Amino acid sequence: MKTICLFHLELCRLLKSRFTYLIIVLSVLSPVIGLILYKPAAASTMLSIYIANPAIAGGMASGIMFGMLAVFELDRAARSRVDILIYAAVSPLCMALVRILTLMIAALITLGLAMLVWLPVSKLLIGSVFGFVDYVLAYPIFMGLAMPLGILSAAAAYQFTQRADLTMVLFAAFAALSLTLWADNWQLCWLNPCVWALSDDFSNFRIFRSVVYMRLTWLVALSGVWTISWLCLRQYGKGLLGSLLLSVRRIYRPTVALILLTFSVIAYAGQPMVDNSNPDETAMLFNEVPYTEDVVCTGYTAQIFPDVNAGTLSGYTAYQFQNGSGQEQRVAFGINPGYAVSNVKANGLDVPFLVSDYQEYNEAMLEITIPADKQVELTMEYGGFPRENANMSTMQGSTEISEEYMCLENATLSPRLMNVPPDENMYPAAIEITLPYSMTLIPFGNSDAQVVAEHENGTKTWRYKRNSTGGIVYAGNYIREEVVVDGFTIEFYYGSKHKAVMESAGAVNAIKSVVDYCVEHYGYLSFGDENKLKLIQSRVLGGGYAAGGASLLDEADFTAENLSNADKGSESGEVMIHELVHQWWGLGNMFDVSYPNSLWSAEGLTVYTTYRIVKELYGEDYAQKYYVAQWQKAVDDYYLDFYVRNPEYLAALPADKQLEITDNLTYVRQYCEMPLKILKAEALVGGEEAMDKILNGLFNRELDPMYPYLTYQEFLNACGLTEEDLNLA
Amino acid sequence: MQIELKELSMTYPDGKQVLRHLNLSLKSPSLIGLLGPNGAGKSTLMKLMVAALMPTDGLILVNGQPLAKAERMLKSNLGYLPQNFGLFDELTVAQFLDYMAALKGLRSPKMTIQEAIKAVNLVEKTKSKIRTLSGGQRQRVGIAQALLGNPDFLIFDEPTVGLDPEERIHFRNLFSRTAQDRLVLLSTHIIEDVQSICDQIIVVNHGRVLFTGTPEELIQTAVGHVGAFWEKDLIIEKGLHITSRVNTRHGVRCRAVADKLPSYVKAEEPSLEDAYIYLISREAVQ
Repeated sequence: MKTICLFHLELCRLLKSRFTYLIIVLSVLSPVIGLILYKPAAASTMLSIYIANPAIAGGMASGIMFGMLAVFELDRAARSRVDILIYAAVSPLCMALVRILTLMIAALITLGLAMLVWLPVSKLLIGSVFGFVDYVLAYPIFMGLAMPLGILSAAAAYQFTQRADLTMVLFAAFAALSLTLWADNWQLCWLNPCVWALSDDFSNFRIFRSVVYMRLTWLVALSGVWTISWLCLRQYGKGLLGSLLLSVRRIYRPTVALILLTFSVIAYAGQPMVDNSNPDETAMLFNEVPYTEDVVCTGYTAQIFPDVNAGTLSGYTAYQFQNGSGQEQRVAFGINPGYAVSNVKANGLDVPFLVSDYQEYNEAMLEITIPADKQVELTMEYGGFPRENANMSTMQGSTEISEEYMCLENATLSPRLMNVPPDENMYPAAIEITLPYSMTLIPFGNSDAQVVAEHENGTKTWRYKRNSTGGIVYAGNYIREEVVVDGFTIEFYYGSKHKAVMESAGAVNAIKSVVDYCVEHYGYLSFGDENKLKLIQSRVLGGGYAAGGASLLDEADFTAENLSNADKGSESGEVMIHELVHQWWGLGNMFDVSYPNSLWSAEGLTVYTTYRIVKELYGEDYAQKYYVAQWQKAVDDYYLDFYVRNPEYLAALPADKQLEITDNLTYVRQYCEMPLKILKAEALVGGEEAMDKILNGLFNRELDPMYPYLTYQEFLNACGLTEEDLNLA
Repeated sequence: MQIELKELSMTYPDGKQVLRHLNLSLKSPSLIGLLGPNGAGKSTLMKLMVAALMPTDGLILVNGQPLAKAERMLKSNLGYLPQNFGLFDELTVAQFLDYMAALKGLRSPKMTIQEAIKAVNLVEKTKSKIRTLSGGQRQRVGIAQALLGNPDFLIFDEPTVGLDPEERIHFRNLFSRTAQDRLVLLSTHIIEDVQSICDQIIVVNHGRVLFTGTPEELIQTAVGHVGAFWEKDLIIEKGLHITSRVNTRHGVRCRAVADKLPSYVKAEEPSLEDAYIYLISREAVQ
């Protein structure tokens, strides 16, 4: 009772301090840093730009400021010598407890105010894809939880040292570690969580879970450290050790500290979010697993039940083998390291199995000994919280399983057979997935999914067939648009939240224009089958990919921000065209990663093709004004740029500044200079028709499997030109 | 309230021994003056009594219970004004007292806060921020916080420092009234304060208790050891401590204490200050 009363009084006192006001006001305003200076979430989705970055920056700034406030407040009583009056009435331990709780409440108030202030701002900036759930989760997780961590760490340092100056040095070092050395370790960067993207159109629960896990681990660890420092609070004129010895007499106190610390170590070591994949990404030990002798896989089925609330999955799979060897064989599967395997039976009998500790490319190896029987049906149950690849731990979020979105790839979907060849039917598989009613299942590839059962619990079971050991499925709250051009059907799937943006960008018309133009000039996509292609908008990925019958579009390419990028087109519809042209110049004929300052990339041909489509749609004057003239102006400015004319000064700048300038210059080279060069090449080779022929040849060229990328030299050779010929100066 | 000190010793971590085998018994109602020169151990003794320090040896009993067990009870019945203290400048007088009342666990403290403010003559400053107060007013806030909740045991360490004579008299009377039914321990250098209000005196020096008793008993110890003489008659003698020196028309009139008064010194009635100085000087000689 007394503690509650004290807590109330201390809170009132704290809130009367001008310094507290200053810290609260600065913390509430601090998300603005994420809009201007500090942008750790690099993706171009609206939620990354206008929620993740402000919230993370706000968390970083407010965490530091609340740490400083904690030091100021804890030192205040000693500094103003009120401590002697206070400790004559209550024990220093009781008072420290009250103070830490008070600071936590001040942090909570600050978070509440920040959320109120930034709600309308975020809503205004984000527009139609604003998600209230994302907002109310992002701010407490990214920003709110940073403040108690700052408070606890600073308070612990002060309680150990009892010196404000030394505490500030220790706290600054602890914060600096998170921002520098620990920045790429998702579990250690307590102040600046590794969040590279938030999805606009789909859910973000996976990345929220990851950050919550990291922050709670730190919260428990720092609570433990704080409790130990609390036991070291100087009492009865004793020093650190003397006070500690007195405080630990009540055994529950050190016990609580030890439990907290132990729990945090267990939580750190046993994190469920990422696996232990071999950091050497050239290692391919799983590819070297020897194939079984005289065993073939004749087919398999799987029933998969995602738990969209828990983000977990459970599944049952049955593999059929023909074992002609007459002896036991060890069959190997790749399985997501987060899954537990159970009930492994061959022909109804339990068989031994082993899951390897070694992990590679987000898979652990499940080895099962199958009996010598000629026909073997191997069944197993598996499930759990899927882990992501440790080598991509700073880009978590792709294995989302929620009511809004789901992406299950290969071993995360079902155990992937590694070392048994198929029979002539090539692994025929029937997969059933039970999903909430609102979700649409989209198998990546040629397969089509059908609803085979509807259940009373609001779910329905989808079934599709495929012929492979792996596979990818997407599911979500998708809108499906069908576009037919010259007998070629495009199934365009995009998130329902993006409806307004897609409509205003004229997505369907853009698809028609692009398919019309590109099919006529370059041919069908190598990864589409003859009649059909699925275009699937994915949750933000940092790129796209394509396979037979399907191509993935990263949602980041269709954000309102990107669609208003004038360098890609004068209107959002034209940017949509630009992004779709990447299906031809960017995926099937994938370009290699371009070198810094290189002008050759997928963008040059994509911008040029966009210009050609727009020219067809809106006429030459329009295309000249909004494309060629724009490129020319940007290139003219580029050649006048101080650092282009004086590269020695660029070299003298700090690395991060150099990178920033180089990135900007590279952008101009790829988006403006290269299209101009292609335009010049077009003139030199004899006009548009001749250039179309050349590009058609390049698009349909025979690929070198060792290096399937289209190079600048190949382009020049095809044009019969040299680099000097395309000199714009 | 009864406080007993048994064989109490205190040595600081730097090895300095401040109190040695102190034995005292303090019982309410009483107003006890704690006297002693600087560094005698008075403040340390007080800090031990409020559990701000832990003795290296010996026991403190509160109502017969060891302090370690009775600490919470003691603190809830304690009013303490240390020699050097600070206040929260951003609070008003009333808010600060409200805060201290909460620390002391007082329920519905409004009345007691008003009483304390009234007792220290700070009614006009009730809503003033502490940062605007003068040194004397801050001292009064310190006294007021000690009085909150009418604690059974009050410890004042140099409470009248910084107060003008009129205020000093006011507070002397206040302490006297307060001690009617409680135990008040008053540490001061101002002998006059002690003489006018204390019913008990404890004199400590070099960490030892030199005297415990009433002021009259202390004065009695100096009878025959205090005298006056003209400075011109002075012969430097060991053990003679001059306590005052007054310039008169006939020359400089001196007052001194000594174990054995020289023949040129005429014995006089001792004051409490004479007795105190005699006690301290005698200890120094020993």
